[in-house]
Amino acid sequence: MKRPVIVGNRITVPSSHDFLPTVDEFVEGILRGWGTDESVIADIAISVSELVNNAIVHGSKMNAEKEISVEIAQTNGKARITVCDPGTGFDPARIANPLDDENLLKEVGRGIFIVRSLMDSVDIEVSVGGTAITITKTIN
Amino acid sequence: MKMTDREQDGVVILEPKGKIMGGPDASLLHDKLHDVIEHGKRKVVIDLAQVDWMNSTGLGILISSYTTLRNHGGELKLANVTDKIQSLLTITKLVTVFDAHDSVDEAIKAFK
Repeated sequence: MKRPVIVGNRITVPSSHDFLPTVDEFVEGILRGWGTDESVIADIAISVSELVNNAIVHGSKMNAEKEISVEIAQTNGKARITVCDPGTGFDPARIANPLDDENLLKEVGRGIFIVRSLMDSVDIEVSVGGTAITITKTIN
Repeated sequence: MKMTDREQDGVVILEPKGKIMGGPDASLLHDKLHDVIEHGKRKVVIDLAQVDWMNSTGLGILISSYTTLRNHGGELKLANVTDKIQSLLTITKLVTVFDAHDSVDEAIKAFK
């Protein structure tokens, strides 16, 4: 299995749940360095963990030989985080509403809903090379 | 995530600590819960006081715990739900599913 690689504000990790804490530590460390409020850090950390989870499970099909990257930047008082995986993406419109009564006790299917609830914006871009999801959140 | 457990007045109290974000976290709580059920225990409190945050995987673990216990005639209660987790329970409507209490003692008293 490959190892995590950090270049500036970008981390690339093998597509494995083993590296979720590594990505979290990286993202939270940068946000904390920017003086971000702890509650906002938690919202962003939760959202990034959702996107990385999805990238591992759906984008890379749990193949640890594939890689996921997370890049974080700050612009105009907003944190902007992009999570990339080599998968073919998904159609958000096809995700069942987790608030419907028949879905309430399902153990999965809330990730993107939570990200949309916690972040200011969510942008999904699918290309030949993979899927990139960019989230933004006001931090100052 | 790490987890300890103890028993008080016939109620098993699970005390996860840290962040519940996926991967091994899920199997840790799942395995512990099945261990509890195999030992004939049916009343469980999950004390969330020391959980910094959880994501949808964490919520899925809580739902799994709730339904697994219910299917075995048991009951799950939550205690010390932090503001961050309460917010997630609210936006996902799971606040209507879980019986949450301000302390472990109150959760234990709530078992009939």
